[in-house]
Amino acid sequence: MGLAAVARSALRGEVVKLEDVWVAYSGADKPAIKGITLNLPLRKTMLITGPNGAGKTTLIETCLGLLKPFKGKASLFGVNTRSRGIVQARRLCSYVPQSFMKPPFEAYTVSHVLKLGLASFKSAFEPINGDEEKRIKWAAELLEIESLLNRPIGELSGGQQQRVLIARALLRKPKALFLDEPFASLDRESRYIVAEAVKEYVRREDASAVIVSHDVAPLNDISDVALKLVDGAVVEYEGITS
Amino acid sequence: MISFFLLTSLAAIVSGSLCGALGFHVQRFNAVTLSFTVAHAALAGAALGLIAGIDVTYTAMILALSSAALLGAFFTKIIHERELISMALFSLFSALALLAIYMSNVTVLATSSVAVVLWGSLLAVTLHKLIMLACAAALFILYTSAYRMHIDAILYDSKLAEAEGVDVQAHTFILLFFVGAAIALTLKLMGGFLVFALLYNPVVAASQITKNARRQLHLSALLGASSALLGLTISYVLNWPVGAAIALTSSIILLASFIYKLLATRAKKPS
Repeated sequence: MGLAAVARSALRGEVVKLEDVWVAYSGADKPAIKGITLNLPLRKTMLITGPNGAGKTTLIETCLGLLKPFKGKASLFGVNTRSRGIVQARRLCSYVPQSFMKPPFEAYTVSHVLKLGLASFKSAFEPINGDEEKRIKWAAELLEIESLLNRPIGELSGGQQQRVLIARALLRKPKALFLDEPFASLDRESRYIVAEAVKEYVRREDASAVIVSHDVAPLNDISDVALKLVDGAVVEYEGITS
Repeated sequence: MISFFLLTSLAAIVSGSLCGALGFHVQRFNAVTLSFTVAHAALAGAALGLIAGIDVTYTAMILALSSAALLGAFFTKIIHERELISMALFSLFSALALLAIYMSNVTVLATSSVAVVLWGSLLAVTLHKLIMLACAAALFILYTSAYRMHIDAILYDSKLAEAEGVDVQAHTFILLFFVGAAIALTLKLMGGFLVFALLYNPVVAASQITKNARRQLHLSALLGASSALLGLTISYVLNWPVGAAIALTSSIILLASFIYKLLATRAKKPS
């Protein structure tokens, strides 16, 4: 399935559909998530909470097809995450992982890290165009990181690096945002900046979002679905029922 | 006509820098085990070439590229078990190589055709092989230039790149093809059991000297070329097997890089 076909299918159906999904890590004695069934329609936002080790990151990575279920079926924009078409479906998404911190010797500049977010849309030898440069500038302004553009990413604090990755996620103009603990390294002021940027993007672009966070308060007003995971299973669910 | 020493020197420089650059990418793509399997497939192919009486470069190339294709096919379906599958294939290819050498109807391991496969030979370098090596190196440079953004995205954070829709699997697959081709073309110079020294030692040494990824890539290629050229000279002067001389040189460079790191760390510590 090509990107155009995936994009067409993305305008109907669900962003994420999990049917009795079980995921286990190699060598683990119990599954990380157990029998999860859920459905996130287009233009909806889902907040996922739960204690450490509950399976929140496993769930978000299963939605993106980075982890494959050993039982059940997971689809992203109607594409089975086990199929090769998942590569195209992921181009409609942006991800901010929980483990994003780069060591001090990482020499890629912030500007380069932002440009790399557009790599999947590029064919051989294709450079960044003028529109994309503008989008990079827009995202940098939105997340207030313009002054950091020429600095090596490894020199930045955790909070600054997290804002860079959120800017990278937004400049890709995704149909779905997947954010894993987007406030974890941020101070109060930065949390406000990030929450406002995400909310504005979701509203303006009619995008969907799946957000894992201990602190959901800043995003409560855009939440359509809220679920709580404990020990790999959904223990609370509020919102849309399929 | 190009002199013999210039021919072998050029072959050493091209194969050393190509293997060094490939080793850097293999390590950053987390594909070391996969490349190890492809390298042993090349060895098995070369040994099978001995039995069939075909130029071992071509049989090594066929088996190395086939194993890369096989691993690529498995990669999609069973990503978590790929290391285990690689090790199973590695054992299979090693067994095939040893069996083929045993069956190649020679009684002395130093017999020239077997020696070329086991520890390499200066005499195996021909202008034709040098041109093929140069073509492989040029193709690799072309590929990395064409997909610089994709490759940089993977080198920066492969999981993030994959989540954003960069085809990490396809690029790993292409990288394995280059590893297969480079090993098959270098095998007769280095020997099947020592070719890994050119693939992995330079990148490990480079990572001791600098943590900057771009510098690591350039240094890895430079150390690969230096190991190969120095080893070649030692082999020529002392009449040693060329593969062993190159592997020893690259090991000494690796040791020197560890000592450099140790001294540099001590110098940075406040007294």
